Amino acid sequence: MTDEGTPGPETHVRVVYCGGCNPQIDRSAVAAGLPTGDPEVRPGTTVHLNGCPRACASDHMLTSDDPSTVVVAGELVDGVPTPSHELATAITRKIKE
Amino acid sequence: MALRTPEDFIQSIADLDLEIYMFGQKVDDYVNHPIIRPSLNAIAMTYELAQYPEYRGLMVATSHLTGREINRFTHIHQSTDDLIKKVKMLRLLGQKTGTCFQRCVGMDTLNALWSVTYETDQAKGTDYHERFRAYLQYVQDNDFVVDGAMTDPKGDRSLRPHQQPDPDVYVHVVERRDDGIVVRGAKAHQTGACNSHEIIVMPTVAMREGDEDYAVSFACPANAEGVCYIYGRQSCDTRKLEGNDLDIGNARFGGQEALMVFDDVFIPWDHVFQCGEVEFASPLVERFAGFHRSSYGGCKVGVGDVLIGAAALAAEMNGVAKASHIKDKIVEMTHLNETMFACGIACSAEGVRMSAGNYQIDLLLANVTKQNVTRFPYEIARLAEDITGGLMVTMPSAQDLADPKIGPIVEKYLVGQGDTPTIDRMRVLRLVENITLGTAAVGYRTESMHGAGSPQAQRIMITRQSNLDHKKELAKALAGIGKPWDKAKLKVPTAVTAD
Repeated sequence: MTDEGTPGPETHVRVVYCGGCNPQIDRSAVAAGLPTGDPEVRPGTTVHLNGCPRACASDHMLTSDDPSTVVVAGELVDGVPTPSHELATAITRKIKE
Repeated sequence: MALRTPEDFIQSIADLDLEIYMFGQKVDDYVNHPIIRPSLNAIAMTYELAQYPEYRGLMVATSHLTGREINRFTHIHQSTDDLIKKVKMLRLLGQKTGTCFQRCVGMDTLNALWSVTYETDQAKGTDYHERFRAYLQYVQDNDFVVDGAMTDPKGDRSLRPHQQPDPDVYVHVVERRDDGIVVRGAKAHQTGACNSHEIIVMPTVAMREGDEDYAVSFACPANAEGVCYIYGRQSCDTRKLEGNDLDIGNARFGGQEALMVFDDVFIPWDHVFQCGEVEFASPLVERFAGFHRSSYGGCKVGVGDVLIGAAALAAEMNGVAKASHIKDKIVEMTHLNETMFACGIACSAEGVRMSAGNYQIDLLLANVTKQNVTRFPYEIARLAEDITGGLMVTMPSAQDLADPKIGPIVEKYLVGQGDTPTIDRMRVLRLVENITLGTAAVGYRTESMHGAGSPQAQRIMITRQSNLDHKKELAKALAGIGKPWDKAKLKVPTAVTAD
């Protein structure tokens, strides 16, 4: 939070997209569903948004060793099967943990 | 123990005193039985190559559990580079043995169980992964051969496991005790089972509610009380009993399958890796199948290398090596063989790190690999037979060649180009026969068709993974489907209106 009580830039989620050659999900729609300026979001949070389980944005990893990073790979969130319409909700829950 | 030697491996299998039956009789000295020994030799090659500096890059890995050197066949893949090296290692072994060397099924089982036990624990609060981790180190420390046993006899395929009139046609739990479980049933087509130190059983199909007793995975020693093996016949197998190597084609190496029976076998809990978690049967089946389907992009390619070489040699001995159609057929065989290899490498390069930390092949590309393997070896075999000629199946026997009266006649009329010895021509023809029609055809043809799942199983997986909706959206975007159509802008092409 800034002194004025408004969310600072650190509360924005950084999204890293894959190249998008085989998307099984609508990556833009998922990104649009993520919170912006939410003070409950951990600072420095990154979401690797892969269109499919080949997970190119996260160097072919379905989970990250960095606890501030969430990996989405098609209908998987950190390796856990998640229906596409629940992806944004599941990611939001994780980045607020 | 570091890396076993091939001699130690064979002795260790002899020491197990397995209960093996063949031709209705118990086989006592099975490691020296002429039908069985070539299959032991083939697995022994996985130990032998690990001893040589020039092959260690593929054959030896570093255990992520202990940091020690281990045979790659007991390794859990830690990178896509590991997955690629696995495929290359299998190609190398296919080249050196010309047959199925049987050990990959255990490697693929270990890798599938590593991630499935982890995910089961995450979801169910069980401790399967810890048990499996301890078991894996036991396998690595002893450089064991593990038989991954998946295929149940299945009985009536239209019925679920728990609906079968005879419940034993799927391996199942018949008793749960404080110290473990008791299992009964059988596993069919068990590649290398009689050459293994350990057996790991997995479910063979996806399980549902009611199938809890059948959703079971466990490990046991190959000589556990209640386990026996009925040896599978192979085309031309009794040629190995004739005391001469010529008519066998590949006298030193061979494959092996057996029907493995579990007659109320006790399994302690620390060797149980799944017991009733029906929702995790399917991931285990799919991951094992995925790993194993990618393996075929290596091993069958290595055997293909041998077959292509044999066909080229036969063409030279027949004096037709320079004929354009022969050269073109060799090119086609090579193209088909390398296409399978390309698939094996691709599904490895596109592998991913699972939440359990291990790397898994890309499932879609692994299934594409195996789908090609259900076809291409048949075409390569057809071209090899085309090039080799009919003599491969009409040739007199080794006994005729050795006969003082008949032998010179065989020598005279089976002569090939130049100074090619007749016996060398016969040897290469027998090798082609061995791979395309004989004992090795079990591995090169029918196993290519049904091993790691029959063709339809791959087509189901390809359907699931094909991302067809994305493809349709691509087509819609380019075709303009859904866009408003402005008829007012229509023009008649000028060329049509010209007089």
